[in-house]
Amino acid sequence: MTTPPTTSAQPRRTVTLTETGPATRGTRRDEVVIAVSPAFAGHFTRTIVDVPHAEVLRQLLAGIEEQGVAARIIRVRDTADLAAISHTGARLSGSGICVGILSRGTTMIHQKDLARLSNLELFPQSPLLDEPVFRRIGANAAQYAKGESPEPVPTRNDQMARPRWQAKAALLHLKEFECIEPGRGPVEVQPAFELSSTG
Amino acid sequence: MDTAPTTGLTAADYPLSVRHPELLHTPTGKPITALTMDAVVSGELSAEDLRIAPETLRMQAELADASGRPQLASNFRRAAEMTAIPDAAVLAMYNALRPRASSGPQLAELAERLETEFSAPVCAGLVREAAEVYARRNLLARPAAGSDPTAAGD
Amino acid sequence: MTETQPRRDPQPRHSLRTEILEARPMNLDGFVEEWPEKGLVAMESDFDPAPSVRVEDGRIVELDGRARADFDFMDTFIANHAIDVASAERCTSMPSAQIARMLIDPGASRDEVLAVTRGLTPAKILDVVKLMNVVEIMQGMQKMRARRTPANQGHSTSARDNPIQVAADAAEGALRGFAELETTLGVLRYAPLVAIALQVGAQVGRGGVLTQCALEEATELELGMRGITAYAETISIYGTESVFIDGDDTPWSKAFLASAYASRGIKMRFTSGTGSEVQMGNAEGKSMLYLEIRCILMAKGAGVQGLQNGSISCIGVPGAVPGGLRAVAAENLVASMVDLECASGNDQSFSHSAMRRTARAMPQLLPGTDFVCSGYSAVPNPDNMFAGSNFDTEDYDDWNTIQRDLQVDGGLRHVREDEILQARNKAARALQTLFAQLDLPAITDQEVEAATYANSSNDYPLRDVLTDLKGAQAVMDRGLTGLDLVRGLEAGGFHDVAENLLTVLRQRVSGDLLQTSAVLTADFTPLSAINDANDYAGPGTGYRLAGERWEQLKKLRHVTSATNPETEVR
Repeated sequence: MTTPPTTSAQPRRTVTLTETGPATRGTRRDEVVIAVSPAFAGHFTRTIVDVPHAEVLRQLLAGIEEQGVAARIIRVRDTADLAAISHTGARLSGSGICVGILSRGTTMIHQKDLARLSNLELFPQSPLLDEPVFRRIGANAAQYAKGESPEPVPTRNDQMARPRWQAKAALLHLKEFECIEPGRGPVEVQPAFELSSTG
Repeated sequence: MDTAPTTGLTAADYPLSVRHPELLHTPTGKPITALTMDAVVSGELSAEDLRIAPETLRMQAELADASGRPQLASNFRRAAEMTAIPDAAVLAMYNALRPRASSGPQLAELAERLETEFSAPVCAGLVREAAEVYARRNLLARPAAGSDPTAAGD
Repeated sequence: MTETQPRRDPQPRHSLRTEILEARPMNLDGFVEEWPEKGLVAMESDFDPAPSVRVEDGRIVELDGRARADFDFMDTFIANHAIDVASAERCTSMPSAQIARMLIDPGASRDEVLAVTRGLTPAKILDVVKLMNVVEIMQGMQKMRARRTPANQGHSTSARDNPIQVAADAAEGALRGFAELETTLGVLRYAPLVAIALQVGAQVGRGGVLTQCALEEATELELGMRGITAYAETISIYGTESVFIDGDDTPWSKAFLASAYASRGIKMRFTSGTGSEVQMGNAEGKSMLYLEIRCILMAKGAGVQGLQNGSISCIGVPGAVPGGLRAVAAENLVASMVDLECASGNDQSFSHSAMRRTARAMPQLLPGTDFVCSGYSAVPNPDNMFAGSNFDTEDYDDWNTIQRDLQVDGGLRHVREDEILQARNKAARALQTLFAQLDLPAITDQEVEAATYANSSNDYPLRDVLTDLKGAQAVMDRGLTGLDLVRGLEAGGFHDVAENLLTVLRQRVSGDLLQTSAVLTADFTPLSAINDANDYAGPGTGYRLAGERWEQLKKLRHVTSATNPETEVR
């Protein structure tokens, strides 16, 4: 496989997350909360394998909506710990279900009654998560919200992900840590998607 | 506090299974030479017979000391004490030592129990040391309502 | 390729050579710039503390620039248990260059070095090894390794958790020379069956090989207590207080666990490695090696006999920064120079480049360590449930040839295929018989046949997983122990295998395997740092690959006969 050397490419689709106020507990039983990390679609714009955050959100939203479930996005600002982010979202979710996601792409489906360090589904290998996987994660979260027991999204494994991505993942994690705003609670955000010209 | 008589073992006595099988017994009092296939087949042996005796651990501690390994020897001396503690209790004690798993009084009680119930003063010392450090580093269990409001750290 | 490809814009034209270089597997590896403020740096950081130690009333009151009142729990544990108080001030005030020189000077014996290192603080040890290049680190390792005779450890796992595969590959691995074999699971509930299979296979391949099953702490201890496994290794420790707590442990809980293992006569070592703290985002601004040295001293203070280190599952982190593999070699040296058994890594998938994989192992293979790999994959890497190793079954002939080329002992040897097939077949039959004796899920003759000739888990008939899991649960519910395995093997006519296993179990009554760096030889003699102490004292001394062992290692798959060049040496 030949990969020509490049400077960083521009994503085709962008998203802006506008804060609309403190995140509150949802009242709809049929909603899934998407909880994003401090640097998601802000300091960072793409996952570790350059999936634009705009695509990640679009696919998650599409997966949730295709199950007839509503979605709400919040940003957790005081931690970069995926379990904490996801559990925070789950406790604010009307259904108790949340998809938590870090900037590098690591994703988790959480439920409010589970222990913080537990989860419904975890996708730890961020380099293996692409658009179709994010869509399935959204659809599964929505099914949990409806009280169903979906087949877990198949997790993939790649022995060589470590040598390729482990250090970059650590670096991204450190950067995400830098974006933490201690003591600031989660906020509701409104996504605005835009197609940027590719030239 | 090691009450076992010193047998004067040196590095040259290692391995005990080769050089001194006569010193080796199971906790059930059988000599190691009794652990034969015949005994297994005839059902004379139980899993208890395949455990290490506290005396053996103290001999291994002497060998460790004689080889310049004082920390290893201390570990064997704690282990000698622990042979008296049932498996499930050992696991429970380990869990009690995890961060924020126990309050100060609970750790004090554990140390007390190690000393009185299991005659394990070295292990008790380790637990007391942990309790002191946990208090200073905010690693004790958050006190439940009503219990010991003075336990807050510095 | 399963990864999502990064998006790229159209680019200007590149040279054909650039395209060839870009296509090299090497360029699939990831590299990052250092970031010392956050601890993303191997071993040279301005943010590491300067060495210092102060003793008052027989107690260390200052350690590496910090007063006792400000000690975190690592400082406290190390000051209380790891450092020899009587010699701390004297040793730590010695010039670092003098200590580094002692490490490589054949005129200074291992014991003389230990008399100094036992009084050193973490920052002082870092200061010493920072003076050493990789060749000097290897020279130090050659002398400071605890056991005179080097050894190797293998992984035997299965992508389908197939016990027959684990048994057959364990038998082959044991025959090829691994002194220890380790397994783990995809589906954790399979553990009892797979641990039994590993034990049986190992004792078929070569009596006296020690086995372990990597699980969470409590289950791992339980399998050990029952005598189904012989030792334990996955007892993780970390170099900062915050990451240690994230792992739900403290130095005191781990020290207690160490004694728990010894109290059951079970050999045990801790695990740590460079990169774990920064990977978890809490390196507290310290270099990877400084934090690892704290782990090593914590292990020493706990009185555990040994340590598995060499970055282990975080190898992608030091592997991506400048000088990272020098730091990894140094962390192995530090474990050895404070007199711990060192199972020295080389046990995780590390690089897409075969050259780089080999280079990574040289600082351990050339000087020899207690276990050169703390997990050479004795199964094909796709079957390796530790997420792949630096070497696997496809590398057997390469490894053997490198041993022969350089005349170094990496613990393995070439074995003729007929012997291997025999061992694999016997292991599968022994397990078949044992499962029948113990009323565990049946193993068919077809599976035995598959095991004899298989390469990977794909070459075996599929098992009925639910039935197997029920059987695994039954092992736990019925309280089966190592003794039941001995009885079953004996009753099934596998007398020699039963006898081997009984001899291994008997060892826990003697406690001989609890001493530093202990393994069991083929004649069941415990070999440890006491009766096989490393006596390296310069050229011509210490462990030399010679005699019968060297004759073994001269054999390869294809060597043209000097007597009759039309044939090959058998």
